[in-house]
Amino acid sequence: MSIPSSSPERESSAGVQLECPSSPPGLDADPPSTGSPVLSPDSSSHDAVLSAPAASPADSENLSPDELELLAKLEEQNRLLEADSKSMRSMSGSRRNSGSSLVSSSSASSNLSHLEEDTWILWGRIVNEWEEWRRKKDKLLKELIRKGIPHHFRAIVWQLLGNATDMPVKNQYSELLKMSSPCEKLIRRDIARTYPEHEFFKGQDSLGQEVLFNVMKAYSLVDREVGYCQGSAFIVGLLLMQMPEEEAFCVFVRLMQEYRLRELFKPSMAELGLCIYQFEYLLQEQLPELNIHFRSQSFHTSMYASSWFLTLFLTFLPLPVATRIFDIFMYEGLEIIFRVGLAILQYNQTDLIQLDMEGMSQHFQKVIPHQFDSCPDKLILRAYQVKYNPKRMKKLEKEYTTIKNKEMEEQIEIKRLRTENRLLKQRIETLEKGQVTRAQEAEENYVIKRELAVVRQQCNTASESLEKAQETIRELQQQTYTEQFVNNLQTQLEQSRLHEAELLGALKEMQDKVLDLEKRSSCLPDENNMAALQEEVKQMKLRELETLRSFREMQDTVTDLNQRWQHHMSRSTGGGGGHWKESPKKNAMNELQDKLMTVRLREAQAQAELREVKLKALQLDSQNQIHSKLIGRHEQERSALQDRLQMLANQNKALQAQLNEMKRKQAESDCKSKEEVMAVRLREADSMAVMAELRQKIAELEIQKEEGLIKGQLNHSDSRQYISQLRDQIAELKNEVRQLRGQKAAPSSRIGCGGGSTNYQDLRLASPTSAEGDYLSSDDDLLNSPLPATALYSTLSDPCHQSTRLDSEGSTDSEAEERVQTHPDPQQLYGNMVCADVLDN
Amino acid sequence: METIWLYQFRLIVIGDSTVGKSCLIRRFTEGRFAQVSDPTVGVDFFSRLVEIEPGKRIKLQIWDTAGQERFRSITRAYYRNSVGGLLLFDITNRRSFQNVHNWLEEARSHVQPHSIVFLLVGHKCDLEAQRQVTQHEAEKLAGAYGMRYVETSARDAINVEKAFVDLTREIFELVRSGDIQIQDGWEGVKSGFVPNMVHSSEEVTKGSRQCFC
Repeated sequence: MSIPSSSPERESSAGVQLECPSSPPGLDADPPSTGSPVLSPDSSSHDAVLSAPAASPADSENLSPDELELLAKLEEQNRLLEADSKSMRSMSGSRRNSGSSLVSSSSASSNLSHLEEDTWILWGRIVNEWEEWRRKKDKLLKELIRKGIPHHFRAIVWQLLGNATDMPVKNQYSELLKMSSPCEKLIRRDIARTYPEHEFFKGQDSLGQEVLFNVMKAYSLVDREVGYCQGSAFIVGLLLMQMPEEEAFCVFVRLMQEYRLRELFKPSMAELGLCIYQFEYLLQEQLPELNIHFRSQSFHTSMYASSWFLTLFLTFLPLPVATRIFDIFMYEGLEIIFRVGLAILQYNQTDLIQLDMEGMSQHFQKVIPHQFDSCPDKLILRAYQVKYNPKRMKKLEKEYTTIKNKEMEEQIEIKRLRTENRLLKQRIETLEKGQVTRAQEAEENYVIKRELAVVRQQCNTASESLEKAQETIRELQQQTYTEQFVNNLQTQLEQSRLHEAELLGALKEMQDKVLDLEKRSSCLPDENNMAALQEEVKQMKLRELETLRSFREMQDTVTDLNQRWQHHMSRSTGGGGGHWKESPKKNAMNELQDKLMTVRLREAQAQAELREVKLKALQLDSQNQIHSKLIGRHEQERSALQDRLQMLANQNKALQAQLNEMKRKQAESDCKSKEEVMAVRLREADSMAVMAELRQKIAELEIQKEEGLIKGQLNHSDSRQYISQLRDQIAELKNEVRQLRGQKAAPSSRIGCGGGSTNYQDLRLASPTSAEGDYLSSDDDLLNSPLPATALYSTLSDPCHQSTRLDSEGSTDSEAEERVQTHPDPQQLYGNMVCADVLDN
Repeated sequence: METIWLYQFRLIVIGDSTVGKSCLIRRFTEGRFAQVSDPTVGVDFFSRLVEIEPGKRIKLQIWDTAGQERFRSITRAYYRNSVGGLLLFDITNRRSFQNVHNWLEEARSHVQPHSIVFLLVGHKCDLEAQRQVTQHEAEKLAGAYGMRYVETSARDAINVEKAFVDLTREIFELVRSGDIQIQDGWEGVKSGFVPNMVHSSEEVTKGSRQCFC
């Protein structure tokens, strides 16, 4: 089985083109029409009636009569095909292995051969003169594509339509296959689920699965943003049914880039939302009743339409029908999906409106997919009757983007709020976890905090007073601190005590001195007193003088008296003689006179003496006065001194009080400073505790991390073991396969491929692990035991096999289970249809 | 076709890609197991009647969702109208178990203001040899989220019935106690046709209903 070259050879003739169909390697693809050119042409098709193409009256106006004729022929051919497939519906067999059925129907297909030949020649021409056709006969080309591209031309026409013939990315392909993609695992899991019933992809190690995996992986590497999206494998699968993997890859890249598919498959899938929005609009506009019914049943558009857009009907309709739609998609893009979707709904409107949710769902799953099996043209014709306004669609797109943008903004806000909420919830959770113990702790904490607050206040006041004290201390001692300061204070205290003692001593001395001074002051005159005394002395002197004067007066008087006395005496003696003579009377008188005189003298003397005494009395009096005054003065002085003494004593007391105060203050500040030190130590202890806690937490986290690492390693080792186990299994299975093949080689050479295939089936049954493989996923793909594809295909070419299939297909559709189990591949069906058509005619 | 049912519950089935959501639902609704099935592209719909007590039938509408993350933009629209959900993971795929939390988050953030009764389902329990998630840890996780846990196998039909019926019963009890209420504009729970004769004449009522349709 050689791999045909797929590059278009422009210069080659149509015949050459036919000989190099770009069917995928490893495929013995025999489309229904392959054999016809060999067969003799039949004239009956020549006079085919011109059935006017209903969909394209406008298009045909621009066409030349030649082309019109061609179109008519095509139309006829399609009609015949339809009729044929109707009658031959039960005919089974895959398109891929329809060789046997073709042989049986070859005689009938000869009816069509001439028309087909024409078609082939036409398509050969189109392919060779592609550029010209696209430029000049675009409308005809469009029309022809709508009629269906002949199977053999699909590969090249799709490449040409997608403009994927010369893509630089093609050269990267082999490089890409060597790389590994992050999506690989996911792709592997889905590969087995892509066209699982199709011959090409059937079986775990089938070529189909391998190339499908390759293309999907390569694309996921080329476009990291999209990577791999479920659903896209069906499109690639379809491409691979027609062309080799490199070409399929290029076409797929183009489809993604140019046909909106990339937007559809992007992780956000925004384009799908838009498509559904647009589709809903069309539904509302063109099938309002159905739309209302859907809404009342809450049958969302996305339920049925999302797969339509994502897989282009490939998972919804049988392959032959879906391939026809795909032909048009390649030329016209997503528009056809809208059209076909609406046509399907329109066709089923009356049925759907009578059904409830379950019924509709069943209808969509079971009935609709097979409605057009026999007449894909009917569907396509209906699709072209659907009104579709591109401008309107553009407008809707704009509308949708504005709606989406708004939603996005809201979503972002909601997200933000949610994360916030989540964080808060987490916090609450963590808080709640330790709440029971925390509650107690919190209470304690609260009490402690209150205490702390009180202590702090105290501390504050203490520190204030401390500051004050410090200030005073600073004044006393130039800024000292703590213990030194205390020591200083103590020494100061001692000093002050000594000082006090000294002061006391001094006080006593002073008191002594005071007493002494009192004593002395009693002796010593005062200055004030002196003045007074001087005055007194003056007065005394004055008095003395007075007395002296009176004394002199007295002396004078005495002397006077004495003189007088002498005078008297002399006269009495001289005169006495005389006087004696005078008379004796006179003598007596004289005597008397003498006596008088002496009395007088005595009187004067007594008076003098009196005066003297009086003076003396005066003197004594004044002296007494002076003394009493002095005493008073001394008294005064004494009291003053006593006052002073008292004052000093008071002063002393005050000082002592001050001293006491100081001592008290010092003690207080001492205490406070100690308290403060304690508080600081407490705080230090607290922080130490916190540090210890944190260290513990770190340790815990580290342990967790270690655990995580170990877990990871364990997991890793687990999966390693698992892989190695699987590998072992694989190796065993390989051996088994080899052995079996060895066994098979002998019988197959004798019995033929039929025997071989049954053997292979036995083998498959005997090794359930490999059958499980797709369900399990993964590494089994490494196992490479590809059986020759022919062996695989021959399974179905076995006539017995086919007849059973025929039977099952002949039964009614209602038995779903049976159908799913024995339902032939859609491609087979298509093949049969075409073949049957040939037969019929 | 249609039989009488007391309530209609909408359930949603979520979980990573290829954990076997579609297979589980197919086993439950169609009673068969397909070795391979197409990956779900978007959302699929299934339904079945369940008899939770003799004569008490509940209609289940089951939404099958695509597992790949990018499809969430489509699937998230279906959370709001669901009353219950099966959250699947594959016991042979640890990653799918680790994603359970993400799925719950996703569901919870899109179901508001309603809520979904979830059942955690460890699927593919027939593949005991390849088990990567123990029953114990799955039960622990389920307990942490207030869910029940069950291990099922669609291939061997283990616990498939039980999973759906248990969840239905749980929801039914919540509806009966009034914790879940039927609301206009919410499709999670709908009340159906209450049969006149609960026990005996099911066949008769069935017949009359058919005429009605």
